[in-house]
Amino acid sequence: MTALPSFLEVKHVRKAYGAIKAVDGVTFSVGPGEIVGVIGPNGSGKTTLFNSILGQIKPSAGGVEFCGEDITGMSPLELSRRGVGRTFQTLQVFTHLTVRDNLIAAAQEFKGTLVGRLFAKPDAGLGHHADEMIELFRLKHVAHLKAGTLSYGQQKLIDIAMAFMPAPRLVLLDEPCAGVNPSLVDQLRELLIDLNKTQGGSFVVIEHNMDFIMRLCPRVICMVEGKVMAEGTPSAVQSNRQVLEAYLGN
Amino acid sequence: MKPTGKVAALVVAIAAFAVLPVFLKSYGVYLCTLFCVTLMATYGLNLTVGYAGQMSLGQAAFYGIGAYIAATALKAGIPFFVILPLAAIVCFAVGLALGFPALRVQHHYLAFATLGFNVLVFLMMRNEEKLTGGTFGISGIPRPTLFGLSLDGVLPFFWFTLFFTILLICLLWWLLRSPWGRAFAALRDNPIRAESLGVNITAYTLLAFAIGAACAGIAGVFFAALVQFVEPAPFHFSASLLMLLAVIVGGSGRFFGPVLGTVVIVLLPEWLRFMQNWYLAVFGFAIVALMIWLPGGLLSIPEKFARKGAAK
Repeated sequence: MTALPSFLEVKHVRKAYGAIKAVDGVTFSVGPGEIVGVIGPNGSGKTTLFNSILGQIKPSAGGVEFCGEDITGMSPLELSRRGVGRTFQTLQVFTHLTVRDNLIAAAQEFKGTLVGRLFAKPDAGLGHHADEMIELFRLKHVAHLKAGTLSYGQQKLIDIAMAFMPAPRLVLLDEPCAGVNPSLVDQLRELLIDLNKTQGGSFVVIEHNMDFIMRLCPRVICMVEGKVMAEGTPSAVQSNRQVLEAYLGN
Repeated sequence: MKPTGKVAALVVAIAAFAVLPVFLKSYGVYLCTLFCVTLMATYGLNLTVGYAGQMSLGQAAFYGIGAYIAATALKAGIPFFVILPLAAIVCFAVGLALGFPALRVQHHYLAFATLGFNVLVFLMMRNEEKLTGGTFGISGIPRPTLFGLSLDGVLPFFWFTLFFTILLICLLWWLLRSPWGRAFAALRDNPIRAESLGVNITAYTLLAFAIGAACAGIAGVFFAALVQFVEPAPFHFSASLLMLLAVIVGGSGRFFGPVLGTVVIVLLPEWLRFMQNWYLAVFGFAIVALMIWLPGGLLSIPEKFARKGAAK
């Protein structure tokens, strides 16, 4: 595999809660436009790693660089302004807003100044882009409905579409397939591949659905007990003896 | 109903309300004016609580600050149209300061922080006699004039107040339709997600408090000119509870919710007075019943019926 220039650099990140090392010296990098999968058993530190990268929690040690800039401990707001987006393990939509308003809300703060937005058009000039995303995610028939009234799968699609609305340079997706029916999983994979091609961003994806991650990600990292146990192509990681013993089984 | 039909119905309702006091005695006109004044404060609170999701039990404090600024300044001969923006700016600034606790605490903790602020302001109004007249208050507050025309009569002052109430509501409608309105809703629904999508939750939290406070300050100016006498009692924290009740009973986060809610807190007790000693008990029972059967407020009635219809 040709080495891509680094885009996101995670260097020896540690996060400890007392004696428990949730993340224990994790190092990896992500290149521009690359899709990297992160797998591992429950409690292996994947989400803690994401939260350490994304400013939700402060790592105990180590650092994170994005495009050569040290972003360790930066707030989610500062990171979002640098083009870093995310989805969460649980649904995180604005339940009282319509689907279309959820998508506009996801990108409007990147347009103009705070005072300028007060005098901007109600859709902040994002209506057309929101409609395109609605079309792409096949949500047209529910676009005018409040997000909180929709099914879990539909809300999951909105959740993911929101992360891509501002066209971020890096998106960290935390279990995008959790609770989603099998037919939607295929749709989701196709959507992510499509967005990777059209928007050109890099993705890091945590997932337990092995079929999804192996078909989406050219490179996979397996974490066990807070450490990187294996890293490589999907087939290499899948056949790694330690990974088989600790996570995938026979 | 089509949007044009809704606008027509609204215009007819406003016109009917504007004409109604012509047929009322002076106390009825006073109540209609008090309704408009209270509406300005509850609309502000609806933005803070209903749209931005920031609990506040301090709205009456801003109402009082606006009223005392107006009372002092009107007596000093400062023009009404100078006092109005002045009170709004002062309350905006104080509201901004009150917003800071909201950055650290939420829900019932924030409710008590704002309640504490209301108690503090109330005590200042009662004890700082040199400034506020203490429990004796400030009397003899003159009403404003408009282009040389006196607004001393109950009807001209009602129409004057109604005009500014509608103007304030239109301004809030415009604000809530702008991207700010969506950002407030995002802050209310999910602040963690909102921040990860670039919403400056610090700025919007402070703005929600400050704008809501400015509305109450403006209401206070009209209140002082209406009653022409201010003393601390109307700005006790129980008034903040009533304003919050208006927001919730009408429909928190619904644009016309404060209209119905303010009817309930200002006009309903008056309508129930024919029950004499029982009227407050009946009012209390009505509120309990409303909260049980309509937790989404009076404006949620159509949705409730629609849901029942769909379930059949």
